[in-house]
Amino acid sequence: MTSTLRSRVHKHRSLIPFVIPAIAFALVFCYLPMVGILIAFKDNPNFGRYDAFEAFARAEWTLDNFKIIFSDPEIMRYVVNTLIISVMKIVILFPMPVILAVLISEVRKQGFSKMVQGIVFLPHFFSWVVIVGIFNSLFGMYGPINNIGVALGGEPIYYMGEPGWFRWLVVILNGWKEIGYSSIVYIAAISAIDPSLYEAAKLDGASKVRQIWNLTIPLIMPTIMTMLIIRIGYLMDAGFEQVYAMLNSYTRETGEIIGTYVYRLGLGTGSRDYGLSTAVGLANGLISLLLILCANKLSKKTMGTGIW
Amino acid sequence: MKKPMWKLMALLLCIAMMATFFAACGTTESEYEINYDIDLSQKPKLNVLMPNSGKSIDEVNSAGTAQLIQQLTGYEVTYTQLPAADSSKVLNNELMDKRDYQVMKLTKDQFSDLVKDDMLVDITDALEVFAPDILANISPESWDVVTVDGRIYGIPERASSDNIENMIVFNQDLLLQNNLDIPTTLDEFENVLKVLTEKIGKPALTFDKYSPLVYTISAAFGIYADWQEYEVDGQTQVLYYMNAPRYQEYVEYMHKLYKAGYIDVEVGTNTAADAINKFINGQAACFAGSLWSVPSIITGMQAKGTISAVEAGGTLENYLGYLRSLKENASDPEKIYRASGYTYISAIPFYQAENAGYALDWMNSKIKDTDDAHNFRSIVLGEENTHWTYSPNEGYLPVSANFAEKDDASYYLTGSNETVYTEYWKARVRKQPELFRAWSILMENADQVGVYNVVDFTPPIEDYNSNRSAMEEYAQDQFYIMMKDGTGSIQEFLTKLNSQQGGKKATDAINAWYAAYKK
Repeated sequence: MTSTLRSRVHKHRSLIPFVIPAIAFALVFCYLPMVGILIAFKDNPNFGRYDAFEAFARAEWTLDNFKIIFSDPEIMRYVVNTLIISVMKIVILFPMPVILAVLISEVRKQGFSKMVQGIVFLPHFFSWVVIVGIFNSLFGMYGPINNIGVALGGEPIYYMGEPGWFRWLVVILNGWKEIGYSSIVYIAAISAIDPSLYEAAKLDGASKVRQIWNLTIPLIMPTIMTMLIIRIGYLMDAGFEQVYAMLNSYTRETGEIIGTYVYRLGLGTGSRDYGLSTAVGLANGLISLLLILCANKLSKKTMGTGIW
Repeated sequence: MKKPMWKLMALLLCIAMMATFFAACGTTESEYEINYDIDLSQKPKLNVLMPNSGKSIDEVNSAGTAQLIQQLTGYEVTYTQLPAADSSKVLNNELMDKRDYQVMKLTKDQFSDLVKDDMLVDITDALEVFAPDILANISPESWDVVTVDGRIYGIPERASSDNIENMIVFNQDLLLQNNLDIPTTLDEFENVLKVLTEKIGKPALTFDKYSPLVYTISAAFGIYADWQEYEVDGQTQVLYYMNAPRYQEYVEYMHKLYKAGYIDVEVGTNTAADAINKFINGQAACFAGSLWSVPSIITGMQAKGTISAVEAGGTLENYLGYLRSLKENASDPEKIYRASGYTYISAIPFYQAENAGYALDWMNSKIKDTDDAHNFRSIVLGEENTHWTYSPNEGYLPVSANFAEKDDASYYLTGSNETVYTEYWKARVRKQPELFRAWSILMENADQVGVYNVVDFTPPIEDYNSNRSAMEEYAQDQFYIMMKDGTGSIQEFLTKLNSQQGGKKATDAINAWYAAYKK
């Protein structure tokens, strides 16, 4: 490849106007705010009284925020909780949308397939607060789940108040809400596969299962890997909104994650410590970056595909 | 693209970002001063930021009380309200944007936060010029709450009446069926719970997830309020309830009840409404809550058909029984938490200093209650014979047909006329006969038995305010955990409360303030 930047720009010059809005957007909303990271090195600037820049200039430079993070034994627990919940979500929930997409694409009746899609997409559009409310009633001491359990001769279980159950409930609820919506990407990928490949496979006598295993899955593998790498990038985000809505006194021990901790730190009453919460956010971001780099490398090595 | 080219571009980008950032840092703060040279007859339009009302903002602006205030004061006011959730966060954002609010009605927490960040107008001198009625009708004790380093930053709204309002409501019908009296000691209480639990086949007592200190029960262990005086090693000290000398005994008693199956398993996740519903639906026989749940209990019982509409309009001696405090031994003197303090504080954001005169004038005319202008009375109680009548023996009595029109009155107050408010307010509890009966039972001998929460009277104290929510949350979590699992780890929990959650800092700060306050 000998093409220089100049010649390539020249060649694609008609496309340039189309990327300008995207670049501007990324600059203004993604890159410029990154300067805010510097707040992590400041002693709690007073953003209320002064405008952002003056508040920033007035606050003292300090490393205290990082000292607090790395000296607080609780924080390690929140990191561990975050990782456990995230890993559980990936291991248990990541394959589900793929399976669902394969199943849906194998349904012959168009009408039925569309209906199923509609139904499984639906929960995605409810807010977490609503969903947690529904589940609190379902899993309550006097709710249907426990009623069934008791009818079968068991003892009622206080699901919402058991630290041991919390992470499982998080995964179950998350799965129920998001599996359908996440499957869209895979359904699209599957529908893009050339039908003649299946016809050829059928002529060769491949069964339905063989077709799925040897055709569908390998052909959507790049999509799966891309989604997986993106998902791993969010490993340190175990789903703030959901966990925040579900946490209670009993389950904080196994359920408090970095997201909810930062929220309490930065925006809870009487404790608006912007410096400290930015520092936690920054540390969090660095770990995520590291994870995504590793995942990409691993994917390239084993599967031959990666994001870049 | 070649590598050096990338690097150059990245470098340029960084420089550009830094440059825009620091270029703006040079701006200096403009001065914000109170303007004393104003013509009060001008009465400009005012914008007022209110706490959440639970109603739409159109309803808030068009309500009768809002119209009345406009008539009485001559100021046209537009109200805006904070959302119910994350209100402090939204408040901060509004102030960062320097939104056009001349007055803000703040909670005590929000007020403390804003004072700390120097975001409120110092109104000490302006009060004398623009607000003589406010000065005359708010007590020195109340001014202390809004004073920091000798300067006043807001107008306190003292609670309408110092009520004893925490209680356990019993299903009186069940007590009667089982020949039980309302218990007075811990042992009697345990026995009553035992019988009731057997009777209904479910745990008898319920409460909600925000009640780690069930005052009615903790009173038997000498813990009456969240912060109160204790004798520790011969010294008098103000302590948080979790640090109270007999806190562990209280939790162990609760643990015993819980283990025995007398306490609803779900208390740690019940909302207030959940707990009330369980009581109404007969899934619990008694409910630890506040006086203010009585109206919803009555509405719920009526909806369920337990009582008729006629019964709901009278007293319900046969259905509800109230207990305000338990004692360890029958001969012990009775003591119980008496609520007080300042529900709201009205203040002016720093960038509106110029208009502070108008804002104070508006609030002053709302509080005015003299023989020629009963503004405050009109706002709180309405008109004589339409909304209330006066009886020399009983005080102000509501006219039930119209009194509901004044239900929202307290929402619109910005500071209360302490000279008269408690007397006016009593008309409010008289509105519903059963509520008044409950209130009367709880308030018996209130001056002798009531114990105040010391922090209800604090000015902003940074070490306390910045740790308060962390401490409360922690104490709450650990209570529910210990009630379930026992007090085995209590020492560890207390150490954490006092170190990581800032308990020691807050306690020291409160005691330092209290020593001066008591004098």
